[in-house]
Amino acid sequence: MCDGGDWQMAVVQIPLRFTPVGSNRHSMTAQTVQQGDLVTVIGLEVHVQLETDTKIFCRCSTEQTDDPNENVCPVCLGLPGALPVLNEGAVEAAVKIGKAIDAEIPEETRFHRKNYYYPDLPKNFQITQYDEPICQEGELEISVEGERRDVRIERAHLEEDPGSLQHVGGSIDTADYTLVDYNRAGTPLMEIVTAPDFRSASEVRAFLAELEEVLEYLGVFDAGRDGSLRIDANLSIIEGEEADENGEIGIDALEAANRTEVKNISSHKGAEKALAYEETRQKNAIKRGRVVEQETRHWDESRGITVSMRSKEEEKDYRYFEEADLPPLRVSHWKDEISIPELPTARRERFRSEYDLNEEAASKLTSTKQVADFYETIADEFDPDLAATWVADNLLGELNYRDMEITDIEDRLEEVTRLVELVAEDEITAKNARETVLRDMLDDEQDPDSIVEEAGLGKTDDDEVQSAVVEAIEENPDAVEDYESGDDGAINFLVGQVMQKTGGSADPGDVNQLLRAELEK
Amino acid sequence: MSDDAVTPEDVRHVASLARVDLEDDEIEQFTGQFADILEYFETLDEVPAVDQDAELTNVMEPDEVRDSLDSESALENAPETEDGYFKGPNVS
Repeated sequence: MCDGGDWQMAVVQIPLRFTPVGSNRHSMTAQTVQQGDLVTVIGLEVHVQLETDTKIFCRCSTEQTDDPNENVCPVCLGLPGALPVLNEGAVEAAVKIGKAIDAEIPEETRFHRKNYYYPDLPKNFQITQYDEPICQEGELEISVEGERRDVRIERAHLEEDPGSLQHVGGSIDTADYTLVDYNRAGTPLMEIVTAPDFRSASEVRAFLAELEEVLEYLGVFDAGRDGSLRIDANLSIIEGEEADENGEIGIDALEAANRTEVKNISSHKGAEKALAYEETRQKNAIKRGRVVEQETRHWDESRGITVSMRSKEEEKDYRYFEEADLPPLRVSHWKDEISIPELPTARRERFRSEYDLNEEAASKLTSTKQVADFYETIADEFDPDLAATWVADNLLGELNYRDMEITDIEDRLEEVTRLVELVAEDEITAKNARETVLRDMLDDEQDPDSIVEEAGLGKTDDDEVQSAVVEAIEENPDAVEDYESGDDGAINFLVGQVMQKTGGSADPGDVNQLLRAELEK
Repeated sequence: MSDDAVTPEDVRHVASLARVDLEDDEIEQFTGQFADILEYFETLDEVPAVDQDAELTNVMEPDEVRDSLDSESALENAPETEDGYFKGPNVS
């Protein structure tokens, strides 16, 4: 059985290059390249499933189901005579992405047919976009080891996802037969194509993480959905002497170098591993004086290697031609009409200045839109620092420990707010709130007030604390003597005694103050 | 395109794209037929230009789910099925 990743069928897809050669935009990495260096150059084609309710060319649901061929109709089964009708929601999502990556949405954009025969495509062609994609020439800012860089995005286009295959009774080559499920066929995809701007596998990982964050902020993508992100990567190794005096690598050197296209990558971590492997493989070949073949390679996640795939087709074999069943789109003005939320990078910056957060806290608190929104609610109602501790450290920490996300407790955020209120109003100690109430809330689904009441965590009355302070002093003359003779550490022993007497519900800081005041008398 | 003679190599290539196995004598037969077919298409060059339809743009539907086929109807025309899947020969 296959892993269901058959969309990357055994074909060579020569990346489309519509960016004008000699474009005056800078390559993102100007680094010093020495003679004899081998420079790694990587470009990506990232396929993301768009979160719409229906498919891109029919109104079948995109929801994942347990049974095969449940969400199918004549259009996505490719039955004769069926006609595609474009999903407005998918186009809106594409425009949002275009806005977020600061891309141009051309006046007119249209669809093409890409022809190839494989049973994941019931029509024997995929409806995609060719030379008039919906987004052109964008960029995405990433941060690698604290350094900011723009990655150029050459294009991003809409297309339909193929169906999924299972190879039964063996591997892809040796299977007895194939089972086909068209539930996924027609799910809207956005293919995002970057310029060859990456110089290492870790840069690729940083980009993918940022891209996912942006797409999730836009509400057009669900990273948790199986197979929602799939990556093809082109990697080549250029000899250092090919670089110009600025350490940049020109288009000629890139075109001249043999590259491999690595397919079947489905996560950031997978991308980093696959590309690190492929980089080493090519460098080793070059060091041994061998030629790196231009080919398509398949990332075998379980073995941690890339393997050569038989190459069958090149671009002209796809016989791209206009999809006459879909009229052209003229949606450039949607860019002004559709609004997008503040994006992660901008929000991080604002959090740092507005709430005076450090970089780590700001980055944690903007990791998803839900976390950021929740932080702002708490920060505005109580105090930004208290909110940062509670959301970034306590809440995310406890959620992470339970392998949960903030979205898992979406309907209980008011209870968390109430808990922070109890702390802010000094009703319970921060320690009890964190170590008892929050944990019980997550483990037993109880609300904070009943936990506080049941466990008797409400802060002890001042009178009670005061009498515990007096008692502690009376009962421990030795410690009092030590304190009075200048041993300030002795106060800690007395604090401990008071805490014991009050069952831990007093605030240690307050107790410390009360003890000192009492001893001064 | 039609000026170039169709070669047996062209036929082999097209057959491989279409995942069709052809014997040598079939290759020969189809090489001739391909040339004929291309010639028929040249007839289209003689068709006078016609007025284009009024240009449609932005034909879209809202993102609202409608009923799909039930899976029995979906599989009805399939020569072979298994557990709700379409079943076919091994493909690599």
